[in-house]
Amino acid sequence: MPYYRGICNFCGTGCGHLLRVEGNRVRGVYPLSGHPLSRGRLCVRGWHIHELLQTEDRINQPLIKDQGCFRQVSLETAIDFVARKIKNISGREVAFLGSPRASNEENYLLGKFARSVIKTNNLSLSSDAGQEESARVLLEGCGWPAMTGSLAELRQADFILVVGGDLTKQNPIIASEIHYAHRAGAFLATISPRKTQMARLSQVHLRPRPGTIFYLLQGLARVLADDRKIDLDYLSRFTANSQSFIDGLKLVEIDKVVEITGIEKEQIVRLAGQLAESDSAYAFYPTGVQSLDSRTMAALFNLFLLAGKIGRRGSGLNPVTGVSNLLGSYDLGVSPVFLPGYAAVTDEQAWEKLENFWRVRLDRWPGRNVDACLSDQEAIKALFIVDHDEEIIRHVNRINQLDLVVYFGAYHNSFASLADVIFPRTSYVEGDGTYTNSERRVQLAQKKIDPPAGVRPLWEILTALARALGHNWNYHSAEDIMSEISQLVPYYSGLTYEKLTTRLGLKWPCDDLHPEGTDCLLAEDAGRRFQFIPAGWPGQSLAYDQEIQKDFPFKLVVGRSNYFWHQNSVMKRTFIPKREYNALLLLYPRGFVEISEEDARRLGLREKQLVRVVAESAEVRLAVRISRDILSGMLYIPYFIDEMIPEFLHRQVVDLEKNEEFFLPVRLEKVG
Amino acid sequence: MYWLTSEQLELLIKKLGEEYKIFGPRHDRVSGEVIFDHLTDLSELDLQAAIPYNPPRFILFPHLEEILKYRYEPETKQARIEQLNLLEPKALIGLRSCDLTGLLCLDRFFLGQEFVDEFYLAHRKKLFIISNTCLRPFPQCFCVCTDSGPAAKEGFDLDLTLAGRGYLVEAGSKKGQALIDEFKLPEAGPEASVLKKKIIDDSVSSFDRWALENKAWISRATNRLTTGFIKPEVWEYIGNQCFECGACSFVCPTCSCFNIEEANQESGETNRLRTWDSCSFEGYTKMAGDNNPRKPVEDRRNKRFFCKLSYSQSKKYLRPGCVGCGRCARVCPGDIGLPNVVTYIRREITGEAGE
Repeated sequence: MPYYRGICNFCGTGCGHLLRVEGNRVRGVYPLSGHPLSRGRLCVRGWHIHELLQTEDRINQPLIKDQGCFRQVSLETAIDFVARKIKNISGREVAFLGSPRASNEENYLLGKFARSVIKTNNLSLSSDAGQEESARVLLEGCGWPAMTGSLAELRQADFILVVGGDLTKQNPIIASEIHYAHRAGAFLATISPRKTQMARLSQVHLRPRPGTIFYLLQGLARVLADDRKIDLDYLSRFTANSQSFIDGLKLVEIDKVVEITGIEKEQIVRLAGQLAESDSAYAFYPTGVQSLDSRTMAALFNLFLLAGKIGRRGSGLNPVTGVSNLLGSYDLGVSPVFLPGYAAVTDEQAWEKLENFWRVRLDRWPGRNVDACLSDQEAIKALFIVDHDEEIIRHVNRINQLDLVVYFGAYHNSFASLADVIFPRTSYVEGDGTYTNSERRVQLAQKKIDPPAGVRPLWEILTALARALGHNWNYHSAEDIMSEISQLVPYYSGLTYEKLTTRLGLKWPCDDLHPEGTDCLLAEDAGRRFQFIPAGWPGQSLAYDQEIQKDFPFKLVVGRSNYFWHQNSVMKRTFIPKREYNALLLLYPRGFVEISEEDARRLGLREKQLVRVVAESAEVRLAVRISRDILSGMLYIPYFIDEMIPEFLHRQVVDLEKNEEFFLPVRLEKVG
Repeated sequence: MYWLTSEQLELLIKKLGEEYKIFGPRHDRVSGEVIFDHLTDLSELDLQAAIPYNPPRFILFPHLEEILKYRYEPETKQARIEQLNLLEPKALIGLRSCDLTGLLCLDRFFLGQEFVDEFYLAHRKKLFIISNTCLRPFPQCFCVCTDSGPAAKEGFDLDLTLAGRGYLVEAGSKKGQALIDEFKLPEAGPEASVLKKKIIDDSVSSFDRWALENKAWISRATNRLTTGFIKPEVWEYIGNQCFECGACSFVCPTCSCFNIEEANQESGETNRLRTWDSCSFEGYTKMAGDNNPRKPVEDRRNKRFFCKLSYSQSKKYLRPGCVGCGRCARVCPGDIGLPNVVTYIRREITGEAGE
């Protein structure tokens, strides 16, 4: 039986697949037709996951850096080394960087190790601020930090709105579900400055100027309120502050919205009407690199709440996670702002509960994310990292100054070489673990092949480290950890490996009331009233905008693509996706910047002509790529760091990767 | 024609298992998916299972295969090359006729032309094939439109047709006949061929009832594709919906495109790998010096359906390149599997309104 059932580990869709194992190697992949979400489909990445697993870049032995060179050591020696070093560093001077691709069990244990053994709250993922914002907005608004709707019912929807991002590239199979729903009769609209494939597949594509989606969403809400196309009964039964929100909308002037966004009034009115008339409506937005900013997310939440589409079967607001276990990592508290189960770090009761549960004193001092820790020259002395790519390499100088850098990883990469100690860990096919996809589906991926001799799962290494530091941890399997998680995290309380082995995932909340998981948020069960989130109407920023535009008339945005996925350190280890990536690099060896046909004509720019992209603090030379997909006044650079965007984006990337609504004001200059 | 009871069939497969690695349809317990897989436990074989989601081509043409290894030795200034040949005898049990037809298309591509592919040949050489007539079609099937089912006509060693409690068996090769003789199977008598014909006829006439997912008017589409009179807008409409995942090629029983990669090993050796490839990828047709004759996605889609359905291709394979299994329709994120494409082409011919 060489085909083993599993879960794809690339994006947050969590498609079901079959891996073909020969000897002790994964030699092929095939989609799993019975999977409730992917229903027998995979994207280009998923179809090549076995290529990634062929790589020879495996880390097979613990390594310690000795005068600049790595020396192979035993696991005990490496653990001893770390234990000795870390004893001289105070907990607050240590930061942890988790991996959104690691399992729930590994992420939970990393958080427990950081908080209870090292006593630091500097615990985060790196570039997925969008997920944190999304969780905060949804928690405030409806108490549920993830997808409120269900993808299972999407094909019966009447109305689907996709806001921002490029879903057919980021989460192709969720995009495919949307496409199928559209073909089954749903009205599909996309709001995005770029003409993405999703936009091409939509009946309506609204293209607001970069950074103005917020205004458009506010405008839509105003129209809904004005035209009385709202369900007052729903609002009075299930929401707490609808009247003050509706009153606040009076500040939103439609003419101003039209002026700011460049979208005609008629289109705004028509889209609002479609939403109001629909019975079953969903909105999608990506979290992660191409996310929205929090006020735009809040505006989208408010719009859907006003339309009565939150907390009802067959409707919902659906954030889509870009990385396989991004949601699970947050569920289990790999974040400076959330404890496991989304308890706020400001909640004293939650800390006490955690102390009782872990039987250890914890430090409440507020932690920061890894970017903040590394940007501050003094903040930390030691850094622990799980399986990370090149994206934090921009802090290379600071990382080199640290007293201790510990890396847990399965593969060598340019980041690993910065470490003082490297622990090899198993890859995701070499052990058991659960992963939580965008739709809150917790899925168990079971061990398929044996790891190389001596390579241990992360939980085993962390357990040994904790024991070396005087904590009596006793975990003998990933399952042990899941049973601990289920006692601590209410959403996960009904989850067991026994259940998960015989099902294709369960959607949290999975608890006593919902032993088979929960499809969608229902207002009747929410246990509280929903809240409109004050988003305001910051008209004053427009003047500032116009000032900048004189010198930097273009708005530069950054986005993702199929093959440049995840800073390439993942795709580079494949064959076919790597070829596709190289095919484009051959055309634009210096990288490219996309410009609209209109602007290219106006500036007299030819395809592949070199230009300087100048921002306030940096500039870069890139080739021009003329594109029909972007608006006049906008520039676009796909997000792949090492080869294409050397100095320039490294400096700007912290801001740029926050969200798609962020843009960098730049100007273009011809070279020579 | 011979008669075989279910108990005898079990013994026969067990006997084959002594010499051959057994492949056949089994169910994944949790998802219910039918997988054509290497069976380490023969009790998992289910000949009544629906058409497997994966075609058996991975057995002869793996998703990723090491085909040779080489190593340069600096001391002697010589390169050592080692060809990797897997001459493992394999028995494919319960092949549906569409999949057997697909295999015959692969044979024509890898073996029947100017060059013989040694690696494919190595897999193909010691193969025992038992085909299985479909008593009724499955929802995605349209093999009656592509002349590849519901019963196998050629290419098998043994062909089974379930009739009541046992099977009608036909031998298609000396190997198959030898097995029949060894098991001393009783002749089924003159009425057996009448019975088999009735079973097949019933199956064909039940397509209207069961096979409701797809219909494909292959011959009209072939005509239209061959003459090249399909408007570019039709291809654009199709291309816009393509997610460029390559799945249609990867699940197609007749797709034979591959890529060669040289993978350097830490040991100093280099492995030459053959992997599946797909015409839906931009890099597939990319040439040196920046030229790509099929850069836009709609041109690549156009190429795929030309390859499957045009007359010139059919001449090469002596049949259409599509075997009517319906897999590309189920696996496609863009809902542009071959049956839908044929529908769009047909709509253009008949002038029916599009969507």
